[in-house]
Amino acid sequence: MSVRHRLRSLWTIAYMNGVIPVRRQPLYLLNTIASPLSFLFFIALASRGTLLRPAIAGGMILTMISIGTSLQADLTHYKQDMKFQDLVVASPVEAPIYVAGLALSEFLYSIPGLSVFVALWVATGPLPGVFDAATVIGTLLLVWAFSSALGFTLATYFEDIRETFVFGPLVSLGLTVLPPVYYPATFIPAAYRPLAFLSPATYAADLLHRAFSLGALDPRFGPPLLAAPLDWLALIAVTAGLFLLAATKARWREP
Amino acid sequence: MPDALRSEELGKTYPHGKEPALDGVSLRISAGTVYGLIGRNGAGKTTFVRICSTQLLPSSGQVEVLGFDAVTTPREVRARIAVIPQESRPLYFLTIDELVFYHLRMRGMDRRIARERTDLVLRQMGLADRANTLVSRLSGGLRRRAMVAMVFASDAELLFLDEPTTGLDPLARREVWAAIQKARHEGRTVLLTTHYLDEAEALSARLALIERGRVVVEGTPSEIRSRVKYPFRVSLPRSLSEAELAPYGEVSGVEGGWLVFAREDSARELTKLALEKNLAVAMAPISLEDIFLQLVGRPLTEGEALAEEEP
Repeated sequence: MSVRHRLRSLWTIAYMNGVIPVRRQPLYLLNTIASPLSFLFFIALASRGTLLRPAIAGGMILTMISIGTSLQADLTHYKQDMKFQDLVVASPVEAPIYVAGLALSEFLYSIPGLSVFVALWVATGPLPGVFDAATVIGTLLLVWAFSSALGFTLATYFEDIRETFVFGPLVSLGLTVLPPVYYPATFIPAAYRPLAFLSPATYAADLLHRAFSLGALDPRFGPPLLAAPLDWLALIAVTAGLFLLAATKARWREP
Repeated sequence: MPDALRSEELGKTYPHGKEPALDGVSLRISAGTVYGLIGRNGAGKTTFVRICSTQLLPSSGQVEVLGFDAVTTPREVRARIAVIPQESRPLYFLTIDELVFYHLRMRGMDRRIARERTDLVLRQMGLADRANTLVSRLSGGLRRRAMVAMVFASDAELLFLDEPTTGLDPLARREVWAAIQKARHEGRTVLLTTHYLDEAEALSARLALIERGRVVVEGTPSEIRSRVKYPFRVSLPRSLSEAELAPYGEVSGVEGGWLVFAREDSARELTKLALEKNLAVAMAPISLEDIFLQLVGRPLTEGEALAEEEP
């Protein structure tokens, strides 16, 4: 397949799975925004608005992580229930194109949700500069990439769609709810703070908190955990590692 | 005629399986023909199809598809094949037209050609008047036809159809048969697995009967017929005893009577005897179902999931 054909395949898969269903049932869009907005709502309310900005950053990250869990569910459904993946395996479409197409479709679903968070970000603080905007975009793209790779790897091992109902929330819990994503890392007692580094979302949150100028706006939020280059390095390394895992451990052709 | 598919001693034992799902299957399928693979559930048909269509790795043996090794060069094979997996279902949120059209686009086909092929195949499969109906609103049979249309519209040289007519009504089955015959006229090769022996016999140039992962018999339908001991069947009521019938051939008890497999002269003699006794009797050449019964020792429909075949 030429590059043109690969891009055509990728976009067709994204269009089939991400545009057509939404055109027929726009309520699908609410699915990706429901959880991130719920967290935002409760955290902002309980903190009387003081944690609104960190929660907006958390909402952005959770929206991206949700892409991975939705991808995992879609992949399992298409593989186990529909046998659609078998049809794709035995076709010129390669595994990375299929996964990227589905991941792009999930991204399309998340655009309205992300737009809400971007609007809140702009509305609740100083107008972000180009560098901050680029940081947010780059960070979210990396979170999208690693959550998709993780979703794909897990999905190839699931034999029943119900397993995704168990692992999806666990992945969200482990990656975004427990680590300092919706709240500043300085809120964790210093002794336990290193545990936060176990979640790759921590590095993403650190970058977003910096782009959101959290420490500058409110001294209680403290400085970022790591220097920006270290956050980038860690995030890129995790993404590369999960891609490597997907490429070597994910099962496209059954053993 | 060159081989479209050649397997040598192909074997597969699933990781948690006790018995092999495939046990040394060697088959050759000529290009431009329809080849029927028949057998009971779990006999190994789907495992064979999944290995040949690069979805599954074999445990042993070799398989070459359209001149390419399916194990070491799957990419070359995948560019030239299309498959309807067993129990597969079409994407329910698409219309039939979208299902076929976007399947072609997903395979990398140019928009104009994809449009032409979609329109053509929908007409041929009798689906044109429902082209804009959502798949979720179709009956099971129509969904299956939509899947078949999807695969036939592709430019694949070799089509793997794993039980494509299961669940279809007789009329819909005939439409799928016509599409298979058309694919053959176009010079494409079709590997068809089926439970329906009439279907296999009507469509296939050659057949292989698989039981417990092994090929029991292989050849053209007439070659297969010639390999069984008794080429005729006589059905009779129970008023005759098994002992009376035994000298004529092989006697099987069936619902409401006896079935005797016999050579032609014995079958005629037995029919004459029954007519003299004013008994309802029917004599006919054996069907493929009967051949299965004679070779395997039980009917095609008896028992399920023989081996360790995974879905």
